[in-house]
Amino acid sequence: MLSIDRYAYSNKLRHVHPAEKCGFALITVAVCLASSNRLTFILVILLMAGLAVFRAGIPLPFYLKLMCVPMSFLAVGVLTVAISITGENHPFLWGLKIGGYTLGVTGPGLQAAADLFLKSLGAVSCLYFLSLTTPVVEILAVIKKLRLPPLFIELMSLVYRFIFVLLETAQKIQVAQSSRWGYASLKTSFHSLGQLGANLFVKSYHHSQMIHAALSARCYSGDLNVLEEPRPLSKRNLGMIAAADLVLLAVGIWPGK
Amino acid sequence: MKDDPILEAREVSFGYPDGTEALRKVSLSIPRGKKTAFLGPNGAGKTTLFLHFNGILRPAGGKVCFDGRDVRYDHRSLLDLRKNVGIVFQDPDTQLFSASVLQEVSFGPLNLGLPREEVWKRVNGAMAATGTVHLKDRPTHFLSYGQKKRVAIADILAMRPRVLICDEPTAWLDARHADQIMDLFDKFNGEGMTVVFSTHDVNLAYSRADYIYIMKNGAVIGEGLPEQVFKDLGLLQQAGLERPWLVDVYEELKRKGLAVKNSWPKTKEELFSSIAGKDFSLSRARP
Repeated sequence: MLSIDRYAYSNKLRHVHPAEKCGFALITVAVCLASSNRLTFILVILLMAGLAVFRAGIPLPFYLKLMCVPMSFLAVGVLTVAISITGENHPFLWGLKIGGYTLGVTGPGLQAAADLFLKSLGAVSCLYFLSLTTPVVEILAVIKKLRLPPLFIELMSLVYRFIFVLLETAQKIQVAQSSRWGYASLKTSFHSLGQLGANLFVKSYHHSQMIHAALSARCYSGDLNVLEEPRPLSKRNLGMIAAADLVLLAVGIWPGK
Repeated sequence: MKDDPILEAREVSFGYPDGTEALRKVSLSIPRGKKTAFLGPNGAGKTTLFLHFNGILRPAGGKVCFDGRDVRYDHRSLLDLRKNVGIVFQDPDTQLFSASVLQEVSFGPLNLGLPREEVWKRVNGAMAATGTVHLKDRPTHFLSYGQKKRVAIADILAMRPRVLICDEPTAWLDARHADQIMDLFDKFNGEGMTVVFSTHDVNLAYSRADYIYIMKNGAVIGEGLPEQVFKDLGLLQQAGLERPWLVDVYEELKRKGLAVKNSWPKTKEELFSSIAGKDFSLSRARP
């Protein structure tokens, strides 16, 4: 999570207008989800991976590692689609007869599973593209332009900031504990972890009160207003995004499969 | 020097809910346009006092005055006070809330309801003054401690307060960064800003402050010009403070009859020039 954030700030597409990147990622997700052609999914995956690795400069090993993160969820979901149980006589590619039922894999089932797998991976790669190239702050600025309720945006921005404060606090407590043999055995580990949790809560509460005092000291009166840097949209990028998504859409709704 | 205070506390008392009496009838005044240092052990009440100066805490007894008028605690008056009296908190992590440095610094001036162009001007000015322009787009959680501290100061500077209060500005900083921050204060002070800071470093207070308050257990136990405060050995002992090394060395030189001047040196250079004897380094350089 921390590394994704680091790349978001240091990648080569950092200075592309965030609205372009958000729009591209979201439209492509929509096309990918709406399409039923396997080729579209594969194209989306390749396109997003190519952009992230070659244009944004995200190291390939890191990108592959990220792509493995949703694998366990996907595997479980895909398996349930691929494997079917039925009492009727279907043409099973591979089957196990248990009483009057067959547990096995059918041709269409396998096809559907593959589609689902690729579709999900395609959607995930769109979101990875967005989160690897666009800092949260800039995504928030785009959301703000869309006129979502300020409360929602402020909450997101504070949550984002405090994830890091919380992680840092937790890490400090953990280091302090382990340097005093807090994690020497299983028993002490459980004890230390419990204390870490409890302390983290108390500390966070105290911290939030201090933050409020600090905000008040700067004339805070309910709204977190901050400056945004003005940035022009690039016509060239918009054109490329439109072209890419139109091609994907065309492939997606192509009748002859 | 003290007939024109910009901030005053008159018999201010304050206790925390857990029963700690943080301030006991504290009366003091902050001279306008000067640098005032607060010395004293942890728990002496310095931070609590600072939080009274911009109305975050409200005294249980006594009152606080800003610019000759009593501080009032309605919303408008508080905003007005906080516009004029800015506090830089000791731990920058309690102050920095925003994800990027630019946004962080812009928060205060935007709250003052200034026009956008003016906010841009102040934000850029504050970042330039603190040397944080290159960090503009960086998220605050990727900054080093010294950078965070400087951004925290830029936060307040951008509001252009008349009084800048800094709670332990040099705590946890290395010597070079601590010096940079104190030089910044000198610069702001030269531009007419009143600077108030707390510190545990007697050397810093002695060489950098115009006026010193010493606090202990929620009360002011001593005050005066640096030369006066550090002459009072009883006071220093009571507060658990040492004498600045410059003074120690100078006194020792004087005792041995090696000092030529008759006033305490404020800097290392002043100390060197008060040592009697020929300048050997020059004579050795040209034999």
